[in-house]
Amino acid sequence: MSSALENLETQLDSFIENVRQIKIIVGDFQPQGQQVLNQKIQAMVHGLQELDKLKSQVQDVVVPLEVFDYIDQGRNPQIYTKDCIEKALTKNEQVKGKIDSYRKFKSHLLAELSSSFPNEIAKYRAVRGDERPLP
Amino acid sequence: MGDQFRSKVDQYSPKSSPRGSRSPIVPRQDSTGTLKTTISLGKNPSIVHSGPFYLMKEPPGESELTGAKNLMVYYGLEHTYSKFCGKRVKESLSAFLPHLPGYIDTPGNQDNSSLRSVIEKPPIAGKEILPLSNMQLNGFRLHPGPLPEQYRYENQMPQKKHKTKKKKNKYRSSEITTQEISSDLTSLDSHEKKHKKQKRHDEDKERKKRKKEKKKKKQKHSPEHINMGSLTPNQHSNG
Repeated sequence: MSSALENLETQLDSFIENVRQIKIIVGDFQPQGQQVLNQKIQAMVHGLQELDKLKSQVQDVVVPLEVFDYIDQGRNPQIYTKDCIEKALTKNEQVKGKIDSYRKFKSHLLAELSSSFPNEIAKYRAVRGDERPLP
Repeated sequence: MGDQFRSKVDQYSPKSSPRGSRSPIVPRQDSTGTLKTTISLGKNPSIVHSGPFYLMKEPPGESELTGAKNLMVYYGLEHTYSKFCGKRVKESLSAFLPHLPGYIDTPGNQDNSSLRSVIEKPPIAGKEILPLSNMQLNGFRLHPGPLPEQYRYENQMPQKKHKTKKKKNKYRSSEITTQEISSDLTSLDSHEKKHKKQKRHDEDKERKKRKKEKKKKKQKHSPEHINMGSLTPNQHSNG
């Protein structure tokens, strides 16, 4: 897969370079430049053909749509990756906090209930198969 | 008699019961069906609730992977984390694609180059791409002379640091045949050389200055300096 992407990148690079050269030729056009311009135009068509051939190799590449918004705003797409990582980490920490809180709550509740209703809690724990001593 | 019984039983048969296999004869206090019950048959049939706690349910099965774990470590993404979040990533798109010509940091919707528009209005595809015939190429026959001002400088590469310019030159040196391009190149190169020369000149100046200052310090501490008590003309002019 990486070689397919590298191929695509190389092809795009050379396509862009070709267009840039056309821009220079056209920017201050000289009569003797017509033949070169024609060659460059044909090279551009060839470049499009090559790009079209490569599309089958990158069919299974999945790109998140949100990243396009970053690029469209002239922002570095790596910022998107960074934001995603930070969001995932924050969510992970939040969920961990919730789980820890629930665990603490459960143990506190069991301790309090066992002091108020020792028989019932003993029964309950027996049903649950929890024979560990309460903290 | 038997028929009568059957018709009575059929009335309460699970098949006809809207509640499925539950017997509608026996009233149930627990509508959720979570209470355990013991049904004893015999002379005196009875139903005893044997479950100890009302509304007790089976706990959900524990999954191996939860948010209690550090998922970044679990999936081996610490390196990725430190790569993207450890150091400051440059905001602009041109920092990500430094060798791309033209000014690419403007919003895409301004010059109709947004990627969103490609998705929302996909271009017509499926046609075979063929090289242009001589007749078609005639359509690209241009008049000699420069482009009007407003088109010439549009989308031009913004002034950047030397580093990126060097990268750009990697492409510039490759197979450019026309006079125009070569002249363009030489002008660019000469500009760069000039710039370099100036830089070198500045550096030399700095170095000389530092040398002089060192010398000055040395002289200050030397007994000679104390005796002389005056500056050389050169030092004077710099001081």
